[in-house]
Amino acid sequence: MSQETMLPITHVIPLTTVRREASLPAAGTVTARVNEKVQAGDVLAQAEPPARHYLLDMPRALGIPEKDASRHLRRQPGERVDSGDILAGPVGLGRRTLRAPAAGQVVGVDAGRILFEAHGDTVSLKAGYAGIVVATDGVQSVTLEATAALIQAVWGNGRQDHGVLRVAGGGATERLRTEDFDINLRGAVLVAGICVHTAPLHQATELSCRGLILGGLASDLIPVVRRLPYPVLVIEGFGDVPMNSAAYALLSGNAGREASLDGRVGGLYSTQRPEVIIPQTTNRQVSLPDEVVPLQPGVRVRAVQAPYQGLVGVVREVLMRAVAYPSGILARSARVDLEGLGPVNVPLANLEILQ
Amino acid sequence: MSTVLEADTLLAIDVGSVNTRASLFDVVDGRYRLVATGRAASTAGVPLADVSEGVRAAVEQVQTVTGRKLIDEAESLIMPATPGGAGVDVFVATTSAGPPARTLLVGLMPGISVESARRLAASCYLDIAGELGLMDRRREDEKLDTIVQSKPDLVLVVGGTDGGASQSMLRLVDLVGSGLGLLPEEMLPRVVYAGNQKLVPEVSTRLGERFTVTAVPNIRPAIDQEELAAARQRLAEVIHDVRSSHISGFEELRQWSGGNLMNTADAFGRIVRYLSQVYDPGKGVLGIDLGSAHTTIAAAFAGDLRLFVRSDLGQGSALPGVLRHGTLADIQRWLPVEVAESRLRDYIFNKALHPGIVPAGTEELHIEYALARQVARTALELARSDWPRGKDSASHPLLPPMEPVLASGGVLARAPRPGYSALVLLDAVQPTGIATLVLDPYNLTPGLGVAAGPMPMAAVHALDSGSFVSLGTVVSPVGRARPGRPVLRLKLEREHGETTEGEIRHGQLAVLPLRQGEAGKLTLRPERGFDVGFGAPGKAGALRVTGGAVGLIIDARGRPLLGPRDSGRARDLNQKWLWDIGAME
Repeated sequence: MSQETMLPITHVIPLTTVRREASLPAAGTVTARVNEKVQAGDVLAQAEPPARHYLLDMPRALGIPEKDASRHLRRQPGERVDSGDILAGPVGLGRRTLRAPAAGQVVGVDAGRILFEAHGDTVSLKAGYAGIVVATDGVQSVTLEATAALIQAVWGNGRQDHGVLRVAGGGATERLRTEDFDINLRGAVLVAGICVHTAPLHQATELSCRGLILGGLASDLIPVVRRLPYPVLVIEGFGDVPMNSAAYALLSGNAGREASLDGRVGGLYSTQRPEVIIPQTTNRQVSLPDEVVPLQPGVRVRAVQAPYQGLVGVVREVLMRAVAYPSGILARSARVDLEGLGPVNVPLANLEILQ
Repeated sequence: MSTVLEADTLLAIDVGSVNTRASLFDVVDGRYRLVATGRAASTAGVPLADVSEGVRAAVEQVQTVTGRKLIDEAESLIMPATPGGAGVDVFVATTSAGPPARTLLVGLMPGISVESARRLAASCYLDIAGELGLMDRRREDEKLDTIVQSKPDLVLVVGGTDGGASQSMLRLVDLVGSGLGLLPEEMLPRVVYAGNQKLVPEVSTRLGERFTVTAVPNIRPAIDQEELAAARQRLAEVIHDVRSSHISGFEELRQWSGGNLMNTADAFGRIVRYLSQVYDPGKGVLGIDLGSAHTTIAAAFAGDLRLFVRSDLGQGSALPGVLRHGTLADIQRWLPVEVAESRLRDYIFNKALHPGIVPAGTEELHIEYALARQVARTALELARSDWPRGKDSASHPLLPPMEPVLASGGVLARAPRPGYSALVLLDAVQPTGIATLVLDPYNLTPGLGVAAGPMPMAAVHALDSGSFVSLGTVVSPVGRARPGRPVLRLKLEREHGETTEGEIRHGQLAVLPLRQGEAGKLTLRPERGFDVGFGAPGKAGALRVTGGAVGLIIDARGRPLLGPRDSGRARDLNQKWLWDIGAME
């Protein structure tokens, strides 16, 4: 049995193997093949998820008794039809028919009533990043693998896109301003420090930016950010929090490369996490990232709570005894060599492993 | 094994969304005592998504503290206990970890069975994703879309008194069957039927072939009778099954516990109901569990339990929900220091991202306890709308007399000084008359709630033991007066001889030293118009009081507690109250 302390882990890795399964919202057709090389914008699969259902009353529409309804049915369950196609009839001198209210399929027939499923708009599953298809179930999901830099975030606005990385603003600790934007940033994925105003967000929209990666975001901007057309990822947290130095260095060092942003948030019980994937070219075999790393001296961590929020450091020692803090709280702690500050005690609960 | 007691050793596990706790009870001098506790981070979430790791780590801590071997080489619990002193005789477990089950609620009558179903859902970890009812005016195909779009993990079908409505109920059942038939095979939910019991065979026939149907006792067996407890227990088993499909380890817990696995809230409520049967029947018993992902309010009045779980209110991942029920200013009024709205809002959203963080600085500490007040107060206000008539918020704006007030939750348990927890409870609950504030620092209540089944004496003994911390007896006079006017004269004659007399003025929060284990005779003479719970305003009386970690608390700040409008004065007062109650040194 393990006596090791486990902490949440966040990946900021220059080179790793990224393997992600992506799924359509409903079963459809997978067009990608296993071992196929794909680019970020390639469509891997498509589906037409049901938009709505109709209960169509055959006896009423055709003017016939319920017992005769099945005799006049022209389409069988599972059969696809276009909008206006005849589902039942014609009947009688007036040649009354029952037509499909939309493109879709008959799901079932019961007591003379047709349960009809109208198809919605076609949904496409795009690769999101350049990689190789390593698995598929053939109808709904595709697993894609790439050698890439991986930077995980703590929050995203639910959107996904990809584009060329560019740095905007003065650095990880600087607030993003409207004057930081110029025409060279058009259509790019932007890396910036902190955003506390709406104006830069709208400026990015006007420049058709494909994404924004921030260290900190003022929480009152959450409703605005959720409505933006491009993905926004927050690496550190809410408030005036700079991006941690490791993530900023990795992102700014990859300026000019294509980056894929996934701003979907899965929550505590989901593996889905907002992240940036920057495909890299290498001949080396690189392993998948570790999902569990025991806390021990030498491990890189970042603080997730004031007063050190966003600072990165290296664990010197996991302390045997609980430490008393200015708040009066006693907490199990680690001695961490924090960048720019030197060794300080930080509660284990306020640390995350940065790998 | 003891000849008097059912078994000797009890291990209780509570798996929360942030922490997993283990508590070992053993018989000492013929009574069950808490021997050791262990706490580890829960592992229900990613990357492990397996509660077993957290359970083993917590049990390992107990093992280290006691030196008693509990887990064997195969990583299984040693049960029953061996003559050599290893293992345990009884294992019980509770859990609140895991995402709430998305639930489609299907019922007949909006004000009757559907209302009961909502109450049942509010006492479990259910997230209502959609509702269908007999009086629903939507077209049938729209109802089908509701079923499909709600993507339920669970469908709760209620309605009809036993032997009552059948045709309308079966029409609804057929509609549910048609709608669920549209879902992909891998998304088929569990169906729980809690309606007219005469229809159970028919419902099973109509749905049972295609879906897993669990029939539970009718929650509304008669029009004027609501029975939630039995259905809740069976529903909990289904919820565990649903969670097991997302998270591993629950099956192992179920096997270890031999069926003694309950929802944390349900087990917590069981203890509160038990206490209401042994304490003053004229008063209720109140339980508050401030969790990270849920807040549970359990109130019981002479055995009538009202259990209420809010998944949108909590001290961690559910914290942003507090802003849906109130404003930042509502939280700021509890702060003793100036904190900008933006900073407060950022704190709330950051805490939701990292539910386990602890406040290392004083400002964070004050924010944390201001939030605890607001979360608990909001949950209590929401819960009170469903209390029995005469106790509910509509008919009784002030809290009815409650004795004791039992509180648990990480934020209260890890307070740097007991005064913090006491002040949170006083501000959030605002008790009236005389009440005792009891803190469960080790989160033992849920485990004892389950143990009450197989080992009733363990629960009784542990509740009486020192494992629960009495924060103190609180006297809260109710009445109207100008600030500074005398409201009460009191005399405390301690059993060891020392006597304290004094006058309490309106607006004052005072603490008289009376340590845990000490007792005394308290004589109270309220001024005319002030009621301390002796039957009428102005009526004097005496009672025996016991001490607590804070002492004897006199809270004459008024009911309801109305703070000053000026934010500066409010901060000063909060600061003063922290001093008065001994939270600051």
